[in-house]
Amino acid sequence: MSSEPTLLEMQQIEKRFPGVHALKAVDFDLHAGEVHVLLGENGAGKSTLMKVLCGTESRDSGQIIIRGEPTDDLTPKQAQELGIGMVFQELSLVPALSVAENILIGRLPRRSFGMIDWSQANDIARENLARLGVTHIDPHTPVRQLNVAEQQLTEIARVLSRDCQILLLDEPTSALSETEVDRLFETIQRLREQAVGIIYISHRLDEVARIGQRVTVMRDGAVVGTMPVEAADRDTVVQLMVGHKPGEQRADAQRRTGPSLLRIENLTVQDHLYQLTLELHQGEILGIFGLMGAGQTELADALFGLLPHESGAIFIDNQPVQIDHPGDAVAAGIGYLTRDRRGSLIPVQPIAPNVTLPLIGGLPLLRSLNLRDERSAANKYIQDLQVRPPDLNRSVRYLSGGNQQKVLLARWMHSGARILIFDEPTRGIDVGAKAEVFALMRRLANDGIGIIMISSEIPEVLSMSDRILVMRDGRFKAEYASEKPTQAELLHSASYATEQVS
Amino acid sequence: MTEQPINPQAIEPTERKEKPSQTNSMWRVVRRFLLQGGPLIALLLLCIYLALATPFFLTEGNITNVLRRGAVLAILAIGQTFVILSAGIDLSVGSVAALSASVSAVLMTQRIEITETLFIGPVDFWVGLPIGIGVGALAGLINGLIITRGRIPDFITTLGALVTLQGLALLITDGLPVPSYSSAPGALSSLPEQLTWLGSGAILGIPVPAVVALVIVIIAWYVLRYTALGRAIYAVGGNREAARVSGIRVERTKVAVYVISGMLAGIAGIVLAGRLNSANALMGQGQELDSIAAVVIGGTNLFGGEGGVFGSLIGALITTILGNGLNLLNVSSFWQQVTQGLVIILVVIFDQWRRRRFST
Ligand SMILES: Nc1ncnc2c1ncn2[C@@H]1O[C@H](COP(=O)(O)OP(=O)(O)OP(=O)(O)O)[C@@H](O)[C@H]1O
Ligand SMILES: [Mg+2]
Repeated sequence: MSSEPTLLEMQQIEKRFPGVHALKAVDFDLHAGEVHVLLGENGAGKSTLMKVLCGTESRDSGQIIIRGEPTDDLTPKQAQELGIGMVFQELSLVPALSVAENILIGRLPRRSFGMIDWSQANDIARENLARLGVTHIDPHTPVRQLNVAEQQLTEIARVLSRDCQILLLDEPTSALSETEVDRLFETIQRLREQAVGIIYISHRLDEVARIGQRVTVMRDGAVVGTMPVEAADRDTVVQLMVGHKPGEQRADAQRRTGPSLLRIENLTVQDHLYQLTLELHQGEILGIFGLMGAGQTELADALFGLLPHESGAIFIDNQPVQIDHPGDAVAAGIGYLTRDRRGSLIPVQPIAPNVTLPLIGGLPLLRSLNLRDERSAANKYIQDLQVRPPDLNRSVRYLSGGNQQKVLLARWMHSGARILIFDEPTRGIDVGAKAEVFALMRRLANDGIGIIMISSEIPEVLSMSDRILVMRDGRFKAEYASEKPTQAELLHSASYATEQVS
Repeated sequence: MTEQPINPQAIEPTERKEKPSQTNSMWRVVRRFLLQGGPLIALLLLCIYLALATPFFLTEGNITNVLRRGAVLAILAIGQTFVILSAGIDLSVGSVAALSASVSAVLMTQRIEITETLFIGPVDFWVGLPIGIGVGALAGLINGLIITRGRIPDFITTLGALVTLQGLALLITDGLPVPSYSSAPGALSSLPEQLTWLGSGAILGIPVPAVVALVIVIIAWYVLRYTALGRAIYAVGGNREAARVSGIRVERTKVAVYVISGMLAGIAGIVLAGRLNSANALMGQGQELDSIAAVVIGGTNLFGGEGGVFGSLIGALITTILGNGLNLLNVSSFWQQVTQGLVIILVVIFDQWRRRRFST
C-alpha cells in the first residue's frame, strides 16, 4: 500500500468549539487506491476531521497537504476543485429540489442561451444512481419525498458523479440494507482500481475487514492508533476506541413474554402494505427484517398515524384503537423512533426539552411543567446512554450524530410508552453504547414493554429479537420464533426467490 | 471514562486549575450577557446618548410619553412574539387593534338601533372592553383556522386579514373617528372615563399602559417558559416535523398562537384608543411592521424556535425611544424613517455576529 503515492496528509490539526476540544494534534494520511477506515466513539471527532478536510469547518491550526501541495484556507469550493468529495453523516441534500437537481447542484448541464438541459441532467442523475444499482428513484422526485435510505443513496450518487480523487464517506451505510451496501462496496472497489483514495467512517465494525486497507482509531479528539486492517481485529479496535477492555457484548436473550399487547389485523396501506396481521406481546422484542422498500417503515408509520391506512384494525390490550395522528398514538401508549434523525430533533433546543417532547402533546395547553423534574428525568437516560458531552443545556445541533441518536432513544425510553417501535435504533451509535442500548431495551422489555425493532443489520436482529418477522413487498414472508435462522436464511427469505443468495 | 493517574504530583495541577476556572466563570457571565443582553446594551447606550444630547429626554413628561407609546407597541410585539416563535407571522395585528378599538368605542358611545324601539348601547365600559378583546381573539382564531385548515401560508392569510379587517373597521366607524362630532340621537360625545384612564392614567406615578404591558409580559413569559403550550410553540417553530412526530398537535398550537396574538392586538388597540381619546379605523396602520421589527430587534429568530418576550419588550422600547429621540433632536421625519430602518438592520447584523461569536 505504501508504494502508492500519498494523496493527502493532515498534520497536527487542531480544532476547538466553545467548551469542546474536538481535534487534538491529529495526524492522518491517505494513499491513492486505499480505503482508510476511521473509527472512534460517538463524539470522538471523526466528522469534524472530515468537515475540516472538505472545508465546511475551518481548522484552528495544522497543515493539510494534498498531493504534496500545502493548502492554507480550505474553502468548500477549493476542496471541491482539489477533487475532495464528501458524503455527510447528516445528509446535506436540499429537500425542495429534485433528485437530479441535488445530484448536479451548481453544475447543471446547459444548452445555448444558458437554458438548463433537463433531459441530460436527468440522464446523468439516472446513470449515477444506476452505478449504485438504484433504478427505482425517479430523478424528478423532490428529495423531501424520499425516505432516509433513498436520500443516503442520492447523496452518495452526487459525490460519485463528481469524479473525486479523495472521497470522504461519513457513515454512508447507516440507513442502507444489505443489498445496497454490497453495491456500494462494489463501487468503492472499482474506484480503488482507479486510484481514488477513500476515507470511510462507520460504526458497523464488520464492514472494516470487508473494504478497508488501513484503520485509524480516534478517541476524545486524538488519534490513538493507525494499523493495517490485518491487525485491526474487533477486540483490538474496540479496546482502542473505548480505552478499556470491552464488556460482554451479548445481551441475555431470555424470553418472558406476557399477554397480547398490540394486535394488527389485515392492515392495508395503498401501494405499500397488504393485509398485514401481527401480534406483539408484553415483554417481547419483535425484530422486523427486510430489504430496502419492503414496507417496514410504512408499517411503523401506519401504526403511528403518520400514514393513513385503507383498511385493517389495530388493537391495544384487545381494545380497538383509532389512530389518525401521532398524538393519538402517543396517547395510546405507542412510541416511535424514526430513522430520520433530522426530522425528529429540535436542533436549537437543548437536550432536556428534546427528551421530554412526547410528554407535552397530551397535556392541557396551560398545564405547568416542572422543569427540575424534567431535567433530572432527562439526566437519567443521558447518563445511561452516555451522551457526550452530558450537558443538558447544550443545543442538540452541536452534538455529534451518534449522540443525537442517543437523545432520541432517551426521548422514547422516557416517554412512558408501552409499545415502542424502533427503526434502526443504533444508527450511528458506537459499539460501546450499542451494548448499553440493547441492555436498556431488554430492561424495558422485562418491565413489560413490547418493542418492535426494525433493523437492517442482521447480527443485531438475530441477537436481540425474541421473534423475527421477515418482510418483502409489503407482506410478511417468514416468521422465526423459537429457532433462530442463520444470516443466509434470513437474507434469503427477504430476497426474491429468483435472486439466489450465494 | 478515562482513568485518572493516582500519584502525589497529580494534586498540584488540580490546585492550579482553580484560577483559570474562576476567570472562566467570569468570562461565562460576560459571554452570557453579550449573548442574551445584546438588545439591552443597545437600549442603554441609546438612552445614555439621548440623555447627554438633549435636556428634554429625561424630563418627566417625556418619559411618561415614551412609556405610554412604548407600551402599546410592546403589547402588540408580545403577541407577535408568540406567532414568530412558532415560525409564523402576523401582518394583521395593526388592523385587529384598530377593529377592536373601533368596535369597543362604537359600542361605548353610540346607540345601535336594531328596530325602531329595540336598540343597544351605549354600553358600559366593562361590557365594551371584553367584547373588543373578544373581537381580536376571534380575528386571531379565524386567521389560525384559515392557516391550518385551509393550508394557506401565514403571510398570505394575515395579509388578507390586514386589508379585510381594516375594511370592516371602516364600515363600523363609517370612516369617522369615534366618538365623532356628528351628534346622533343617544350618542355620547366622549369615551368612558375608565377607557381614558386605561390609556392615559397612572398608578403610583407609572402610566397605566406600562403597567398593563408589564403584567402581560410576565404572564407571557410564564406561559412560554413553564407551560405545555409554551414548549409546544418552541417545538413547532424549531422543527415542525419533529414536533408532529413527537405527538404535538401542531395545528392546535398554531391556532392558539394566533388567538393570543389577536387578543393582545385587541388589548393594544383599546389602550391606544384610551391614550388618543378616540378610535378610528386606520389607527393601527404600520403597527404590524413596527411590532415585527421590535420582535426581531429583541433577538427572536424570524424563522422561529428561538427568542422570548423580554427581548421584544426591549425591542419595542428601542423602536419607540429612537423615534422619540429623533423628534427631540429635530430630525426631519423623512430622515427619521431612514434612520429607523438602518437601526433595525444594524441591530440584526450585530445580533447575528454575536450569536456566531459567542454561541455555545
Ligand atoms: N458546531 C459545533 N459546535 C460545538 N461543538 C461541536 C460542533 N460540532 C461538533 N461539536 C463537538 O465536537 C465533538 C466531535 O464531534 P464529531 O461530530 O466530530 O464526532 P464524531 O466522531 O463524528 O461522532 P459520531 O460517531 O457520533 O458521529 C463532539 O463533542 C461534538 O459535540
Ligand atoms: Mg459523526
